[in-house]
Amino acid sequence: MTSLSAPYTVEFPFDRTVGPKVGTFLAGLREARLFGVRAPGGRVLCPAVEFDPETAEETGELVELAGEGTVVSWTWVSTREGDPLPHDFAWALVAIDGTDGSFFHAVDVGGDPGRMSTGMRVRVRWREVRVGEIGDIGCFEPVPV
Amino acid sequence: MSAEPGPPLPQPITSVKSPFRMDYTYVAGAGRSVFLRGLAERKLLARRCPGCSQVYLPPPEFCSRCLTELEAPFELDGRGTIATFCVVSFPFPGQTIEAPYVVAHIHHHGADTRLMHLIGDVAPDEVRIGMEVEPVWVGEDQLTTSMTSIRHYRPTGVAIGSESTRA
Repeated sequence: MTSLSAPYTVEFPFDRTVGPKVGTFLAGLREARLFGVRAPGGRVLCPAVEFDPETAEETGELVELAGEGTVVSWTWVSTREGDPLPHDFAWALVAIDGTDGSFFHAVDVGGDPGRMSTGMRVRVRWREVRVGEIGDIGCFEPVPV
Repeated sequence: MSAEPGPPLPQPITSVKSPFRMDYTYVAGAGRSVFLRGLAERKLLARRCPGCSQVYLPPPEFCSRCLTELEAPFELDGRGTIATFCVVSFPFPGQTIEAPYVVAHIHHHGADTRLMHLIGDVAPDEVRIGMEVEPVWVGEDQLTTSMTSIRHYRPTGVAIGSESTRA
């Protein structure tokens, strides 16, 4: 006899409380503004964090950024339910101009992996409706040349 | 450091929705499927290990101690005793039953393992370890290959254990 099977969903409706730096970063997203945070040694981190991952010191002031950057690494994926784009896209690490390190997000090249390359210039594409969460950045898109 | 020129900083938000959801497919396996198909026919099917004689309810396909395939399924009458229980008093997201309610491990007569289910038709504060219970099946049109075929267990009115057996 064949085995029975059934859908089984595990779900937790968590709310995550955030600190003042991350909270300002997220509130910025709601206004379609991108902020990084100043870390010791003058580095700027984006997304903002409360404490510097290198020194564990508290981070400093928020720094507004232009929302453009360079792809430093990427991988091509088939779109799935819950993904930010309805067609295939790249998950990428984007070095945002004026920051150190990189920002992990989707890059939309219209479903064509041939348009992806390391070093390509991308910019933030804001969602129409923004609520103060990382998804307010719908994705990154190539900067027109 | 001085503030950057430009518009003032937005007021920080204090929390974000961060829901966690995983969609699985539960695969019952050959052994559990025998038990679940029995439930759709109002039958509690147990199986015995030929190696150690342990009787499983619900039964898997193989004995968890001997790794031997269990013998042919046979029906138990459904009565058993409450081995342990918990009164659930707090609401939580996704809860389908109104608190307070009782969840128990039921040790069926003739079985050596326990089965977890709801206890009903009795006030939570009257539930005791050792109390004998029997299944209350759902209506014919609601019977299915699921534990939901049993609405809950209810006391038979026969006291098997005593207060001294309470942990």
